[in-house]
Amino acid sequence: MSRTSRALGITALALAAGLAGAAMAQSGSIVFTSWGGTTQDAQKKSWAVPFTKEAGITVKQDGPTDYGKLKAMVESGNVSWDVVDVEADFAAAAAKDGLIEPIDFSIVKRDEIDPRFVTDHAVGSFYYSFVLGFNPASLKGKVPKSWADMFDTKTFPGKRTFYKWSAPGVLEIALLADGVPADKLYPLDLDRAFKKLDSIKKDIVWWGTGAQSQQLLASGEAPIGQFWNGRLFALEQSGEKVGISWEQNLTAADMLVVPKGAKNKEAAMKFIAEATSPEGQASFATDSGYAPVNVKSAALMPKDVAANLPDQHTTSQINLDMGYWAAHRDEIGKRWYAWQAE
Amino acid sequence: MTVTDVPLANPSPATARRRGRGIVPVIPALAVVVLVFVIPVLALLLRSVLEPEPGLQNYAAFFGSTTYLKVLGNTFLVAGTVTLATVLLGFPVAWFLAIAPSFWSRLLFAIIILSMWTNLLARTYAWMVLLQRTGIINRTLMDLGLISEPLPLINNLAGVTIGMTYIMLPFMILPLHATIRAIDPAVFQAAALCGASRWQAFTRVMLPLAASGIAAGALMVFVMSLGYFITPALLGGTSNMMLAELIAQLVQSLLDWGLAGAAALVLLVVTLAIYLVQLRFFGFGQARS
Repeated sequence: MSRTSRALGITALALAAGLAGAAMAQSGSIVFTSWGGTTQDAQKKSWAVPFTKEAGITVKQDGPTDYGKLKAMVESGNVSWDVVDVEADFAAAAAKDGLIEPIDFSIVKRDEIDPRFVTDHAVGSFYYSFVLGFNPASLKGKVPKSWADMFDTKTFPGKRTFYKWSAPGVLEIALLADGVPADKLYPLDLDRAFKKLDSIKKDIVWWGTGAQSQQLLASGEAPIGQFWNGRLFALEQSGEKVGISWEQNLTAADMLVVPKGAKNKEAAMKFIAEATSPEGQASFATDSGYAPVNVKSAALMPKDVAANLPDQHTTSQINLDMGYWAAHRDEIGKRWYAWQAE
Repeated sequence: MTVTDVPLANPSPATARRRGRGIVPVIPALAVVVLVFVIPVLALLLRSVLEPEPGLQNYAAFFGSTTYLKVLGNTFLVAGTVTLATVLLGFPVAWFLAIAPSFWSRLLFAIIILSMWTNLLARTYAWMVLLQRTGIINRTLMDLGLISEPLPLINNLAGVTIGMTYIMLPFMILPLHATIRAIDPAVFQAAALCGASRWQAFTRVMLPLAASGIAAGALMVFVMSLGYFITPALLGGTSNMMLAELIAQLVQSLLDWGLAGAAALVLLVVTLAIYLVQLRFFGFGQARS
């Protein structure tokens, strides 16, 4: 609550500044859009608050991220978002479609960012793993380990929950569960993946938001599922008993992008520089359980926290191939939603 | 210029002038509707024939896809089921409201109106809590030993039907109540005097007299259900998706606005067609009474 009222206070101040002088308001504030919930709370605390203190630029929070809205803003030329947290496959596709500005690497330090998570048009926001999560109480002592266990409804009965939207992750999980070796995943064998998913389709409950995934697992509605590791971390922090298997965890990054025609481009680049700085990334990772994209951040973090991050579970870790997804996003998306609706 | 011709052509200029003046107060509302509804809808519909290139390929894609046709069929199935359920549940309530002592009818009215005023999302989430496998209904039934496995009440057609029936009920009850209340109770006495049984009085006197109310409520519920989004999205499963969800998916996730426009036009045409059929059979004035 106090955080909300502070945000309101800041917004009121920004409005007052806007009344005092329109020019000042233009350079004095930016709008940051992310996915809401525990993740955006951490982004606000770790990036926006210090940024406002140092640069004197107010950061207004908006959300959740909506690709349709982003496209509408760019097309109409009335862009009210300055920095947006998006999924990496969308960032790649948006760069191709001319929806986002190139990153100004005279402001953002490219050499500090893990090269997996930086492109000409987008810088990593954080990186996460899709992991297998389960509710130990609901499974009565049985411990699932591999993605194949998600498809074993005999040993692990009950609903299983997967990410609803067409995005890197679920299809890869189906193929891994079906025995495809990690290095042979791409190009995805879509027929095989959907056939594997068909075998448990009636037992799938889809989650559309992180909060929903947490609710499904904690209530036992879906005792097993595919989750963003940070959401399980947050659930554990709130005192829930959560089981996690990191076997073949699938990594992908969220990316920070600036919509084409953003009104406060320079301030936006400065905000991205702050967000991806060693300190910004370390602080966010400590709060959220997601891994930093800045290679200098790990050294700044508490050891016990660093031990639970995706970058500590690299033995069987698989990087989701964003290049492949950017090239096939539309085609897979159409098929994905058609299959869901069948 | 044709506008000024109209009153001259009219046999009664005085009436026409009165009618013309009657339009003036509506202009602000009309302007808002045109600005925030008609223009954006037209823009989206234009996209359906212009994107990715001019032509009807989006409509061909829509009607050529078994998935999209299934979504369309499912939209009708849900809207139809919900309409039927609201008629069956709403009729006795509307009747009771019309004949009950004023304390009870006022109380019931208050409950109905209050539930309408409560946030839609909150009400839908409440249904999630009730209906899920670990929810109150399933747990109670299992504790009582009535069932051994949780009933599938959510993420399927049952969930959508239950949630939407609840949300749509007031839209059936209110017009029905107005119609039933207008029926002169003396006609039932007359029916009884003529030797009609209670059932006959109901089917041959009550129902015909209430028909216009049922039709008005059914139209409202059916049409609103056709375009419903939040409740099906939260209580339904992906395999019984409705058209509004498909449109949202096309706009937000696939960024295929051409196809979204086509789907939106299909929904609009269907809705208008149903409205016209209703007008043809029941007339505007009657449906409103």
